[in-house]
Amino acid sequence: MSEALGRLWAKFRPEIENRITALETAAEALTSGSLSEEQREAAHQAAHKLAGVLGTFGLHRGTDLARQVELELAEAVPASAIADLSEWIAELRLLVDDRK
Amino acid sequence: MSRRILIIDDEDDIRQVAALSLETVAGWDVIVASSGAQGLQRAAEHQPDAILLDVMMPGMDGPTTFRELRKNPATAKIPVLLLTAKVQGPDQRRFADLGVEAVLLKPFDPLTLSTQMEKILGWA
Repeated sequence: MSEALGRLWAKFRPEIENRITALETAAEALTSGSLSEEQREAAHQAAHKLAGVLGTFGLHRGTDLARQVELELAEAVPASAIADLSEWIAELRLLVDDRK
Repeated sequence: MSRRILIIDDEDDIRQVAALSLETVAGWDVIVASSGAQGLQRAAEHQPDAILLDVMMPGMDGPTTFRELRKNPATAKIPVLLLTAKVQGPDQRRFADLGVEAVLLKPFDPLTLSTQMEKILGWA
């Protein structure tokens, strides 16, 4: 089972990485004050999908982080939340990079 | 006992991990559908013992798919378990009120998903 799961992880990893890239892009746009409503909604969806799948591959911390990001992106993000959001996304990237 | 399960989920990764889990751990026969519309068709055609149905899907979402399943006499009695990453209480209560057997949370544990389903469905 774990070997088969490993194969699925390898198969879907690029898609998972693309979702994190969508979050990183949104965080950068947020920092520069140029985040559009469409970008925010796309990032919100990406975070929701990450929250649902990462724990299935054993990355429970990833699910927790993605849920925090999802909640934050559910509506317009206040300036005071940008630093936390960027940190959570950076940690998500590290978690996924570190998973074999 | 061998069972036939229909998984309806638009996300490839979730669909494939759930299928792997139910086939490998429980030895069940799994049919998949990537949309609500396809799920309705496959449910009527294959008459599964239970359906694992994602909530958030583009087009026909999980709750709408569930209501359509109930309208069709051929699929009306098939037990349905909703699968969702929405963890907040009000969402879960709203889904449970639809009349599904249970609401299962994503992420699920691939090693215990079938056991969880067996308990809920009284197959244990």
